[in-house]
Amino acid sequence: MSEPARAQLAALAALAGLPALGPRRFLALVHHRSPLDAWALASAGDAAALARALGGDRDLDTLARSWRSAADGVDPLAVLAAHEAADVAVLAHPSVLAEPPSPPDGPRYPERLVDDPEPPAVLFARGGPVPAGPSVAIVGTRRCTGTGAGMARELGRELAAAGVHVISGLALGIDGAAHRGALDARSGHPDAASPIGVVGSGPDVAYPTRHRDLWEAVAAEGTLLSEAPLGARPAGWRFPCRNRLIAALADVVVVVESHAAGGSLHTVHEAIRRDVDVMAVPGSVRSPAAAGTNQLLAEGCPPVRDAGDVLVALGLVRGRRRRPVEHRPLPGPDAAAVLDALGWEPATFEHLAVRCGLGLAELAVALEELVAGGWVSQHGGWYEQRATA
Amino acid sequence: MLGLVPSATLLGADGHAVTVEVHVTDGGLPSFSIVGLPDTSCREVRDRARAAIESSRLTWPVKRVTVNLAPPTVRKVGSGLDLAVAVALLVASGQLPAEAVAGKAFIGELGLDGRVRPVPGTVCLTEVLGDAALVLPVESTDEARLVGDRVLHPVRSLAEVVACARGEEPWPTAGSAGPLPEPPPLPDLADVRGQPMARYALEVAAAGGHHLLMLGPPGAGKTMLASRLPSLLPPLGPAEAIETTRIHSAGGFGLPPGGLVRVPPFRAPHHGASSVALVGGGTSLMRPGEISAATNGVLFLDELAEFSPHVLDALRQPLEEGVVRVARAAATVTFPARFLLVAAMNPCPCGHGGQPGGCRCTEGARLRYQRRLSGPLLDRFDLRVEVQRPRPDDLFGSEPGEASAVVAERVRQARELARARGVRSNAELPAGRLDDLAPLDDAATRLLLGALRSGRLSARGLHRVRRVVRTVADLAGHPGALGADHVALALSLRVDLAGATPHPESVAG
Repeated sequence: MSEPARAQLAALAALAGLPALGPRRFLALVHHRSPLDAWALASAGDAAALARALGGDRDLDTLARSWRSAADGVDPLAVLAAHEAADVAVLAHPSVLAEPPSPPDGPRYPERLVDDPEPPAVLFARGGPVPAGPSVAIVGTRRCTGTGAGMARELGRELAAAGVHVISGLALGIDGAAHRGALDARSGHPDAASPIGVVGSGPDVAYPTRHRDLWEAVAAEGTLLSEAPLGARPAGWRFPCRNRLIAALADVVVVVESHAAGGSLHTVHEAIRRDVDVMAVPGSVRSPAAAGTNQLLAEGCPPVRDAGDVLVALGLVRGRRRRPVEHRPLPGPDAAAVLDALGWEPATFEHLAVRCGLGLAELAVALEELVAGGWVSQHGGWYEQRATA
Repeated sequence: MLGLVPSATLLGADGHAVTVEVHVTDGGLPSFSIVGLPDTSCREVRDRARAAIESSRLTWPVKRVTVNLAPPTVRKVGSGLDLAVAVALLVASGQLPAEAVAGKAFIGELGLDGRVRPVPGTVCLTEVLGDAALVLPVESTDEARLVGDRVLHPVRSLAEVVACARGEEPWPTAGSAGPLPEPPPLPDLADVRGQPMARYALEVAAAGGHHLLMLGPPGAGKTMLASRLPSLLPPLGPAEAIETTRIHSAGGFGLPPGGLVRVPPFRAPHHGASSVALVGGGTSLMRPGEISAATNGVLFLDELAEFSPHVLDALRQPLEEGVVRVARAAATVTFPARFLLVAAMNPCPCGHGGQPGGCRCTEGARLRYQRRLSGPLLDRFDLRVEVQRPRPDDLFGSEPGEASAVVAERVRQARELARARGVRSNAELPAGRLDDLAPLDDAATRLLLGALRSGRLSARGLHRVRRVVRTVADLAGHPGALGADHVALALSLRVDLAGATPHPESVAG
């Protein structure tokens, strides 16, 4: 890469670390001037110049001050060098920086985002290049039920095994479960499709920390994308931006579970803006965690009963896939009665005791058998039926 | 002239004998001084005694008066020495013959009109007075009768004391104690509809002395359940009754009619309680706290996570040792604190976080909420159950629950089995004797091993679960080896806090 191009790329990387610099402002800033000029403008702290550049008539004093203090002492070239040292690719949108990155087979700016209505000016990527094959975003609530998490995992596993790249946000709950599923498929079949994680903090700042292992696994097996540079803390405004990238990268967005006004409905909104198909997994009408998805279905979203429904929507197969063979040990008579009483809604030990009329000790034994056999999961005193082991 | 009168003062829940010495002399200017480590409340005796003496048509000596409270090493607190000081002063000033009060001890506070009022801790004070006859307020007679069978002279006023001492009236004597009145009925378990698991958890807690944590949304009936626990516990034995009565008397927690606490106490301090209120202490009075008042009974902490973490951590040592040692500059006192701990809390700030998918809180808010409870404290709860509002359709068709008396009988039998093993309850079974006293059959061992391997149970939790399994089997009438059904039931009485652990569906493996 030529020295001037390198300096421009470095300026982009440095700009991405500024607070409250959303994609729209970023594009406005680098639209009519070079990234280096934009960096000079942002770090100067001149509110009037900023107001002219951003085209807004609002008072930008606070923003100018925060940018000047954030840019204080930052050397763009050092920022770029840090990314190169950490093996994080810095990818610029072609309209912002025309020159292609030096290794022609290295990671490049994702094709799908080039013509996006609101593309990121710069992206930071760990792992391999964003693959071109079919891709499905699996999103949903962080506070999911076991049934929802099990469904997300199953979808992730079967879609990845069918060659579909699974995109998600690596959050707790549905997001994480979908990627666990995709990684399950990769561990069984190396030719299963690679996962794509899109995150809201710097690619090295695992958030939530509980998912650090998942971040590393996705970066190792597939691609980890972020609009935030190394070290960027997870700021609230970055997550809606992250959601738009998930929607923009996917052929189909599948919502597994969402509360009535959940964040995943934002991803749905971004998908609709981009004409990306949205599908939803039906849930119990009594489950608060399925209120949002059931609303989507009522509004005309196609339902997802299993991975086959998604594959049909992608045009990959006609007809439905067979259910996998049941490997779990068949429950005994007591356990079968408990499983019937449990149904597909979460219940406590007490609910079950009242419903199936077994003695407490018999019920406890039956539940132990079901948990051990993989028929039921238990979490915080709540029992849920599992579709697969 | 000198007056000597025995009395007693209270420190913590222990009485200390005190001799009140009053010296009256004509030399020097008229004055009143009091020595012998009295605290401020005790110093006030001068004004009360003076008004009481003058109200009783007696004379306050216009002379140099010195009061000494011996021994001077013990701090004297409160107004219980008022009567003794007044009597000693009357003797010293020649208004009462010294031989008239010889062999008598005096306890009581004086009113300005000369009436004699009761003071806290009469039980503890009476204990240390040797075999002296005791002159005390009428209201304290029941309490004083509980310890020993000394001669009691219940009085109403200083004037009455003077009249008796001068031989104008006979000393009043306390009649023999009648049968103690029946205690009022406790809240009964039959009032609880449905909720078989919560009821069973109460039964196990009562039978085995296992501490219980109830998790559930607001309105699930956690407080109602907890208040039923005293009716399941065996009534207090004579020694336990005195132990609890002493604390209630010394702390001013109030005593039932008849003076003796015979039913297990139920203490439910509010979550705003300070650590002194809970554990005991205070500057000089060294008052016992709520945990000591709950001795031989139930301490119920509702909204456990709303208690200050500092206050909760103060519970750990008493929970382990059964006593609480309160050390202050003035003194160190030890209170009994052997109680059954029952706590209730919401699983998260919104209260609905137990049900998968039901929570409205952010992840951070949930973690902050649950971090308020330290791991070591949570470990003390052998029983952790999720309590849910019973669903209306579950309620119909369910049979009405057993009454407390039926459950209490099973609890009594289980406690007898525990006594035969040499402990008060199974929660106290020594870890080293578990293999011997709580042997497991093969299926039970497999089940426990599985729980250990899957991480549901820690090595530390294993001993605690085995004690619960012992109780579960005892209640089921199986005093021998423990079976898989007992283990399964004990494991389901020990749920994890949802959110403290990730959902099993979303972890690797």
